[in-house]
Amino acid sequence: MLRALSRCHTPVVRLLSPRTAVLVETVRGRKSRTDPIAKSKLGRIKTPPPVDPVEMVVLKERYTEYNLILRALRLEFKEQMLRKKYEEEVGSVAEERTKREAEEHRSLMALNDAENLRMRKIRAQRMQKEAEAAELKKREAAILRQQELESYIKEKERQILLLQEEAKDFITPDNLDQRIEEALDNPKNYNFAIDKEGRVVKRTAFQQ
Amino acid sequence: MFMHYVFVSASFLLKTYHGGHVVIRLALGGATNRPFYRIVAAYNKRARDSKYIEQLGSYDPLPNIHNEKLVAFNYERIKYWIACGAHTTKPVAKLLGLAGFFPLHPMTITEAERRQKAASIEEVKTDSQEQVEEAL
Repeated sequence: MLRALSRCHTPVVRLLSPRTAVLVETVRGRKSRTDPIAKSKLGRIKTPPPVDPVEMVVLKERYTEYNLILRALRLEFKEQMLRKKYEEEVGSVAEERTKREAEEHRSLMALNDAENLRMRKIRAQRMQKEAEAAELKKREAAILRQQELESYIKEKERQILLLQEEAKDFITPDNLDQRIEEALDNPKNYNFAIDKEGRVVKRTAFQQ
Repeated sequence: MFMHYVFVSASFLLKTYHGGHVVIRLALGGATNRPFYRIVAAYNKRARDSKYIEQLGSYDPLPNIHNEKLVAFNYERIKYWIACGAHTTKPVAKLLGLAGFFPLHPMTITEAERRQKAASIEEVKTDSQEQVEEAL
């Protein structure tokens, strides 16, 4: 009969009447189209609120004036906005912006060039120092090599002299007989005895 | 008036309206027995309190300790939206009229006149009553 309660985001009101403890939500229009009119409203004739014609005329005039002013305002705002957009994109504002950006660009380029120059100078100095250091090292290496060569030569010469000295005692075909006789005449005894304390005994029992 | 087009970024998630327009209206917030309105630019088809395009001010209908009702407006942005073709609702138009940004709304003037007339009639009635009492 009465419309089912629909979920709405309106606050809930409990009708705390003794007869009907009904949970009612403050929804507009409790009744649906097919519900009968209430008994208290049977003879009701709805009349709109009375209108004062003088006031109405005055009000209509006021409304026309108001609408006129509003329309004018709207158009003016639109024009202002279009002008601002135009200025922003094409006109003075854009020009100033481009000028400012060009200035910035120039200054930044100048800064960059200065920085590059400075770095180049520093690099040149560094390269020079490194070149000098390399040169020094090369020279020292050459000196070292020279010295090594000389020492090697000297060593070799010493060894040659030593060998020459020793060559005097070599056994040659000429000395062979003489040396054999010398060796046979002087028998050498290489045997020796040694104990744990390190005492060496050269005189042994073995003979011949 | 040209239409304000939706900024298509997350276009699958944003709702586009056919034939809708932008309105500047009051969105209700606050708590029980304590309303608070935000003056908001939103699409016509949106629910009253749901997602809006931009907030342009606020209106507190309950008077504060100094008996003032506080209203805030962002005139720059309101100008922008009106230039883009936004409509205003009656209460917003009335508030703007009182603020001086719009001309005074006719109904404001009419209501004020009606109240003044009612007040003068009351005065006349009380005067006549006093006279009657004095005569008696």
